[in-house]
Amino acid sequence: MRTITYAQGIKEALVEEMRRDPTVILYGEDVANFGGIFRITSGLKEEFGEERVFDTPISENAFVGAGVGAALTGLRPVVELQFADFLFTAGDEIVLKAGMWRYAHGGAYRVPLVVRCPSGAAGVGPEHGQCPEAFFMHAPGLKIVSPSNPADAKGLLKAAIRDDNPVLYFEHKLLYAAKGEVPEDADYLVPLGKAAVVRPGDALTLVAISAMVPKALAAADRLAKEGHHIEVIDPRSLCPFDRPAIVESVKKTGKIVVAEESYRTLGVGAEIGALLMEEALEYLDRPLRRVAIPDVPVPTAAVLEKFVIPSEEKIYQTCRELLS
Amino acid sequence: MDRNLKLQIYRNMILSRRLEERIAELIKAGQVGGFMHPGVGQETLQCAAIAALRRDDYMLYAHRGVAYWVARGIPLEKVLCDLAGREGGTNRGKGGVMRVVYPELGVLGESGTLGGCFPIASGAGLSIKVKGGDQAVLCFFGDGTSNRGTFHESMNFCAVRKLPVVFLCENNGWAVSMPTERSTAVKDIADRAKGYAVPGKVVDGNDPEQVFATVSEALQRARTGAGPSLVEAKTYRLWGHWIGDPESYRSREEVEKQWRRDPIPIYEAKLAQEGVLNDSLRSEADADARTKIDRAIEFMQKQPFPKPESALEDVFA
Ligand SMILES: Cc1ncc(C[n+]2csc(CCOP(=O)(O)OP(=O)(O)O)c2C)c(N)n1
Repeated sequence: MRTITYAQGIKEALVEEMRRDPTVILYGEDVANFGGIFRITSGLKEEFGEERVFDTPISENAFVGAGVGAALTGLRPVVELQFADFLFTAGDEIVLKAGMWRYAHGGAYRVPLVVRCPSGAAGVGPEHGQCPEAFFMHAPGLKIVSPSNPADAKGLLKAAIRDDNPVLYFEHKLLYAAKGEVPEDADYLVPLGKAAVVRPGDALTLVAISAMVPKALAAADRLAKEGHHIEVIDPRSLCPFDRPAIVESVKKTGKIVVAEESYRTLGVGAEIGALLMEEALEYLDRPLRRVAIPDVPVPTAAVLEKFVIPSEEKIYQTCRELLS
Repeated sequence: MDRNLKLQIYRNMILSRRLEERIAELIKAGQVGGFMHPGVGQETLQCAAIAALRRDDYMLYAHRGVAYWVARGIPLEKVLCDLAGREGGTNRGKGGVMRVVYPELGVLGESGTLGGCFPIASGAGLSIKVKGGDQAVLCFFGDGTSNRGTFHESMNFCAVRKLPVVFLCENNGWAVSMPTERSTAVKDIADRAKGYAVPGKVVDGNDPEQVFATVSEALQRARTGAGPSLVEAKTYRLWGHWIGDPESYRSREEVEKQWRRDPIPIYEAKLAQEGVLNDSLRSEADADARTKIDRAIEFMQKQPFPKPESALEDVFA
């Protein structure tokens, strides 16, 4: 296997799926001539032509909504929003159209749409720095993935493009440069809805999402040196959500910490807490703990951002407290 | 326009240009972080339009450049502290340089999601009307942003309710890498005004006097209860979309050609010809700008960073 970056993993997925399936198209602001503001899509217009890879006006409602229309009528559009936050800009089109069209019409249609959403705090403040996955977990009909490493970035995007449902694909800005081994197989897919146990253990279950995964692994390393073997689980896909994976792990460890870059209230951790109440309460020997953003918008200044975004240290300390 | 007004606009143009250059240096040297969209080439129109405002008017600015704040008279120290994410700015590190505010002068802020400004400007117009005032609202935006649905809904809303809002489009030919003619079907954004039965005017954005006259007229119309206007100022973005933009999407020749239309030397020549500006006034404006900027940077560098826990403040009143 070779080592490539998360950004390259995304690009390979796009290129391979576009080669394989002529109905896959890619569009959004600055994706074609410029190659995307995060430089993921450079060269794609040259290879696939302007009909399949093109730039759009700044009209999120129009182009996300058009993605729904194109998906209903036989294409597999991949739409890029420059920042995940702009999901709110196209709220009707995402929640009420992409998410509900099929259901509202009795299953008569499929909506094979992928919306690429660069997410995460990176010194860019409240309207360009959120991880809004949890907001959209509340919306029925949307699949949601949040890869944390290059192999998943590639495999999940390929699976998302082949999926017949709308998928919000969250790519974390701070992970673009992360490196890892990625299979070359053109049919390498990571199934939506399957969590990964990224580090097995029995002392505590640590669920980490997206950019929290490398931090969780680093915290688990430190705890291992102190004799605690933490099980780190990366759900990878937030809808569908691999409930059994988490319940099974908690049955083994009896303790759980959830680390996420969402706002704490009704974040992913809240859903996991409710799940455990329903399905595994008797196995928990300590209350669940959440490490999340303390219900304030993501501030811009570095010192403030650092304070609210969960750190490796915070994850480590929270696990320590639960273990003692 | 009298001599003093011409000189005031000129001085603000110079101060904005020098400040922008210094900020670019600070960013390149890694002294401050953040997202900065330079306004070099557009300061002229921004300074001229803002000169037409009254102290008690409102404004919403776009993401491009520092002239909005300079021309409105927000202390430079505050702008620089916002840029650097330090105490002493206007938003306490929460919003960075994209979100400088100044309630004392009706500077309501900026929408980081493009197009978010239009409904807010309409709301400011609504409150003026409800309270029976004669202020006006000036709302800046880019040509690319005029393709958002919020633009169309807000124009219509203001038109039917006769709200005192002047929509000022800075058409600089580009939206990041997208040239206007490929994003926008009409030749002039101002043509869209017809669809909402409001006046739409095109002006040369590199000519401050034309901008001032047209914006003043539109503001006057707003004050008398006649409703909104759309003004389109044709200009050019001389620097990249952001500091560090590789600008692979446009040709060197195009940019060089536009530098020959740089509004600052052109206005200098005009003012000199009219006898408003001479060499000593010119170097005085430049020296004055540099001193103000040096002082403001020095102030900024001495300011503390906000206390980390202050990240939890300001969510609710
Ligand atoms: C709703 C939304 N879409 C996209 C962006 C990203 N973005 C920031 S500036 C910009 C280009 C804006 O072009 P224009 O309105 O012409 O203004 P200019 O940058 O040329 O001054 C884009 C696409 C955004 N901030 N908000």
